[in-house]
Amino acid sequence: MTVALIKTKAEQGLAADFAARGHDLPGSAATASLRAEAMSAFERQGLPHRRVEAWKYTDLRAAVKEFAPIATFDDAPVSQADVDRALNTLGVLAADRLVFVNGSYRSELSTAKPQVAVQSVGAAMLFVRLPNEAIVALNTALVTDGAMIDIADDVALARPLLIVHVAAGAKPKLASLRHTIRLGRSARATIIEAHVALGGAAAGQSNTVVDVSLGDAAELVHLLVGIEGPAATHLETVVARLGAATSLRSFQLSVGTGLARNQTFVTFDGEGAKLDISGVMLASGRQHIDTTLVIDHAVPACESRELFKAVLDDTARAVFQGKVIVRPDAQKTDGKQMAKALMLSEACEFDSKPELEIYADDVVCGHGATVAEIDAGMMFYLRSRGIPKDEARALLVESFVGEALEKIADETLRDALATIARAWLDGRRVS
Amino acid sequence: MLEIKNLHAKIAEDGTEILKGITLTVPKGEVHAIMGPNGSGKSTLAFVLAGRDDYEVTAGDILWNGESILEMSPDERAAKGVFLAFQYPMEIPGVSTMTFLRTSVNATRKKRGQKEYSTPEFMKLARAAAAHLGVKDDMLKRALNVGFSGGEKKRMEVLQMALLEPTLCVLDETDSGLDIDAIRIVSEGANKLRGPDKAMLVITHYQRLLNFITPDKVHVLAQGRIQKTGGKELALELEKTGYAEFVGKAAA
Repeated sequence: MTVALIKTKAEQGLAADFAARGHDLPGSAATASLRAEAMSAFERQGLPHRRVEAWKYTDLRAAVKEFAPIATFDDAPVSQADVDRALNTLGVLAADRLVFVNGSYRSELSTAKPQVAVQSVGAAMLFVRLPNEAIVALNTALVTDGAMIDIADDVALARPLLIVHVAAGAKPKLASLRHTIRLGRSARATIIEAHVALGGAAAGQSNTVVDVSLGDAAELVHLLVGIEGPAATHLETVVARLGAATSLRSFQLSVGTGLARNQTFVTFDGEGAKLDISGVMLASGRQHIDTTLVIDHAVPACESRELFKAVLDDTARAVFQGKVIVRPDAQKTDGKQMAKALMLSEACEFDSKPELEIYADDVVCGHGATVAEIDAGMMFYLRSRGIPKDEARALLVESFVGEALEKIADETLRDALATIARAWLDGRRVS
Repeated sequence: MLEIKNLHAKIAEDGTEILKGITLTVPKGEVHAIMGPNGSGKSTLAFVLAGRDDYEVTAGDILWNGESILEMSPDERAAKGVFLAFQYPMEIPGVSTMTFLRTSVNATRKKRGQKEYSTPEFMKLARAAAAHLGVKDDMLKRALNVGFSGGEKKRMEVLQMALLEPTLCVLDETDSGLDIDAIRIVSEGANKLRGPDKAMLVITHYQRLLNFITPDKVHVLAQGRIQKTGGKELALELEKTGYAEFVGKAAA
């Protein structure tokens, strides 16, 4: 049955904006026609809503009241110091940087080596097998730029590469970027994606698509950090294809974003590959953070590990959807999934939906989910040792998220993210 | 001096009365033992002394050095010198033992108006105290009590007791689950904390711990009341006769 939806105010506004200003978006005539096609595809589907199963708990149609104007070329004045400050502890990392402000690449703020090129929009659109998702179609229609990271066989990046997405300026924008990360055979890299906002741009919207492919035996550490603040909307789609004997270690930290949807689609293309995808969601007020994973074990003998933790206060909501598909040929698959939430208030909500679709018979797959309050017994134990209530509470929350943060092997990176998480926890102490 | 006066307490959740009028005095410099059958209220008494809010005190009072501690939070009581060695110490994943110890000691010192230790100062102090109790450095780095054996957990309790410098020590079944060597180590640790300014309450089901920590007085707790008080020989007597007499008496 097809339900003819009435367009929302946000959808109507976006269509009008695209009609009026779409020609300002970069690219050739061919690119423009791809954009128009993608925009029609988006308009046919409309914003995903609760009757679309994959968006059941994150109803964008209801949540996005209005789209900010489409970002085109942008030269908002932003200094190095602004970026450093917005990056919090990530600002002092010894890393090469690619900086995008409201969807536009800013060479004067970037330090990355030539190995890493900023792509043309036409190249960005040459995507294969992207999920048929309304927000991906929207990204195709509106994409302004993106990093094209191509690391040759056997090359290891000496320093982490930090891709910074900055929302800046007094008027919020809808920024759409598309990055391509390709690692050749046995290549190694650490890539950090940070989404930040400068003071006046708190209500920015971003819709990012990242295409990752790992050649055989390549190893990628991918960190996604969303710290844009309570008025921001962050949509992120990561699509990864893993070759044989590869390792992808991904960590996603979302702190206090107004509305965030991080969706990751991973396909195992070669045998013996390992995926560890973990993360922490911290939300208070009316914030809503959604982590959606689709892990496709298409070939035998691969391993997937997922551990996500949410700490929720006030009326905040976190969503974890973890779909694991084990294809008929994917024998010896080893998959484990865990989602845990710690509730600091009565009115917060955690929705966890594990989905295992297993078509092979010789596999080990497990999943679990827990929702708990702070343990009264632990609390009493700490307080009986002289630790005041707030400090004891902070220690227990820190211990809760610590288990996930430990998944970050690099100590410097782990500390950087732990400090961001701790700052949020400190802000939650009741006096 | 610890003075427990006609203490009544119930489980807050379901209203079950556990302590039904306990009166007990432990002068400074003395060690008293509380013995009793299972379910007599021994652990409840320990928790009520430390301020666990699962229990509600319905009558009576607890005075430590002449001051009522009933309205104090567990951390305030700790600052006043109250320490409870748990029968079942909690496991706290994700918090290293050293971090926990430092947080605990410095929070307590701050409240007592003493200078907080710097991290290197404290690490030196903690390592030395740990070595005395046979607690390895490696244990201090691990998450608090996670994966520790029963004996290691009890040693960790005594280590905390040594570092927090309490004046009122309550040991709840510190011997349970320990072999004789572990009991000896733990007891030696506890004996070191005896002193003219300190009072100690040793709660135990069996007499054997009292071979190592010699009490000045022994109280029998059954049915939520002190049924009998005597010298250390009372413990040996109980070992022979058991608690049947007291259980029957109270029920009659």
